[in-house]
Amino acid sequence: MKQFGTIFRFECKNYLKNKIFVGVTVFLIALIAAVMFFPRILSLFESTKEPMPKDRPVMLISAGTENAAAVQEAFAAAFGEYQIVLSENGIGSLREKVESGEAECAFAIESLTSYRYYVKNLSMYDEKTYAADEVLRSLYRIDAMTKAGLSETKAGEILAMPIQHETETLGKDQFQNFFYTYIMIFALYMVILLYGQMVAMNVATEKSSRAMELLITSAKPTAMMFGKVFASCLAGLTQLICVFGSAILFFNCNKEYWGENPIINSIFNMPTDLLLYMILFFILGFFIYAFLYGAIGSTASKLEDINTSVMPITMLFIIAFFIVIFSMTSGNINSVVMRVCSYIPFTSPMAMFTRIAMSAVPAYEILLSVVILVASVVGVGVLSAKIYRVGVLLYGTTPKIGTLLKSIRNAK
Amino acid sequence: MKLELKNIKKSFGEKKVLTEVSLVAEGGKAFGLLGRNGAGKTTTIRILMDVFPADSGEILFDGKPLRDQHIGFGYLPEERGLYPKKKILDQLLYFAALKGMKQTESVKAIDYWLERLGMTEYRNKRLDTLSKGNQQKIQLITALAHNPQIVILDEPFSGLDPVNAMLLKEVVKEEIAKGKIVLFSSHQMNYIEEFCDSIAILNNGKAVLQGDLRDIKRHTSRDKLIIRSPEAGKIETAFAPFAEKQAEDELLLRLSSPEKKQQTMKELTEQFDIDEIRVFEPSLNDIFITYTNDSADPLQKN
Repeated sequence: MKQFGTIFRFECKNYLKNKIFVGVTVFLIALIAAVMFFPRILSLFESTKEPMPKDRPVMLISAGTENAAAVQEAFAAAFGEYQIVLSENGIGSLREKVESGEAECAFAIESLTSYRYYVKNLSMYDEKTYAADEVLRSLYRIDAMTKAGLSETKAGEILAMPIQHETETLGKDQFQNFFYTYIMIFALYMVILLYGQMVAMNVATEKSSRAMELLITSAKPTAMMFGKVFASCLAGLTQLICVFGSAILFFNCNKEYWGENPIINSIFNMPTDLLLYMILFFILGFFIYAFLYGAIGSTASKLEDINTSVMPITMLFIIAFFIVIFSMTSGNINSVVMRVCSYIPFTSPMAMFTRIAMSAVPAYEILLSVVILVASVVGVGVLSAKIYRVGVLLYGTTPKIGTLLKSIRNAK
Repeated sequence: MKLELKNIKKSFGEKKVLTEVSLVAEGGKAFGLLGRNGAGKTTTIRILMDVFPADSGEILFDGKPLRDQHIGFGYLPEERGLYPKKKILDQLLYFAALKGMKQTESVKAIDYWLERLGMTEYRNKRLDTLSKGNQQKIQLITALAHNPQIVILDEPFSGLDPVNAMLLKEVVKEEIAKGKIVLFSSHQMNYIEEFCDSIAILNNGKAVLQGDLRDIKRHTSRDKLIIRSPEAGKIETAFAPFAEKQAEDELLLRLSSPEKKQQTMKELTEQFDIDEIRVFEPSLNDIFITYTNDSADPLQKN
């Protein structure tokens, strides 16, 4: 136990002295600060000058004479961010002006049921034709209704009749939860993968530098393994807390400047119990993978071998990540695959966490998943310590799993 | 202090690494553990240090099982290596702490040893800024700083320049004088001969010879003579095939039995012009080769 403490402190100090670790943490905090303070800084420059009407981009329209004024009015209402200019000249001049950049885009409206849209570069998110369709359809209907004898106001009222609806979410609001769940899952994924591989690297470095020869005679292998894994876990957790903590802090400093931004607000509305779940699943998920990474690191005798040796575990983890991400984006959180994955120890940290975040999961299911995970962590920990014990003394080619298991049995 | 290994056996899977190793090492004396590559020296050391258990056999310290007592070990492995990127003081403190030393004690001990080995100026340097020999001296500190009762040095002299080798000799002699058990493992026979009072030779996982070095030398059969004579050529033809030329005017003469010694000496001095006749005493090197190599046979086994 005393040795565990010594090793744990030594490894923690290594992380604190590691320039990359400190650098990345500081960089992430700075990045988050920059994003969070951005609207505040922007408002310093913007507050004095309201955007003038003339600053708005120009949208040219040409329309048949009889309803040109009505069309211009309707377009002005639909495209508030544009300056709508009625062109007197023909289609040729519309093309020229869009091409020269004088106007950003142009609508050549031949009738209320057909038009041609000119734009220089069609953006992926350009939805002006949908809006224009809507405007023209409504104009056409009013026109048709008035022709059939209804008054223009009456026709307008019929078309603009609002439907009242309310949504009452009994479980979880997936839209609201989506962003923060996504961010948390991604954070889990990054931290477990990064720090897990660091454990493997760490063990392999000690082995290849032959410091292991001395270590193995100075400390118990279990103390070495557990000291390393716990120190990495603490380092990862510290980084997570620093990043998330600073994000929450900076957001609260700048809350009023973010106003009603739906994504940002939904991210920072994350409930506290979810944060606690995240820490729980992070620690358990981290342990199970870090133990495996440590065991594998101990079997490699050269640093170059590490990347290929850890591939199976990394693949397993990436597959778990993609199952969760696909289920999230498809909106089918409680599919059979996800349910199964939320009990398998290697996938459950992410799968169960996602289900808790984005749907209502009964307490017993959570408890069962956590119990299975804890038991597996203990099992994998014991097994890894055994592999480690044998692995650190093996030099030469990376042993096959069969020979490794044999030597573990013999080592008992 | 007395360390005893009794009938230690160890196999890894099908491979029998140690078939039978027994040896006795005493405090205040240096013990040489010899053997060819792969003979089982490192395995014996690792079993002694409890890296893995023996399949059978026992290890006693002063007559009682070693594991029941808290005996400090200091170890300089043959494969040297510490943390290359870390400050020397930090890693020395780390290893001292792993051996159970308190911070204040260990700082004092480390400073003493840095001073003793002339390494004080490197105290706060990174290990990889040092030369190989100096890195080895730092590693020696990890074996000695916690004042262990048993010091195990695996090829301690390899890679050291003559001045550093001298320094290490002094340090080893100091440790022996403190009454510690010092275990040497080396292929450099001259060092073993210089330091070690007792030796054990391992061959194929078995201790084939073990005991006091002087006794071993005395007990090798005295049935060979070294003859220095200006008439070496004549003697060689006269005694063929039992005479063997060693140098320009030096011969090794094998006798059919040790009892013939006196008579042969007499004959030789009467018939030839002899400068010197003496009984051949094997060097440790000769003994080592005899017991570990079955094909070459410079002297018969007794």
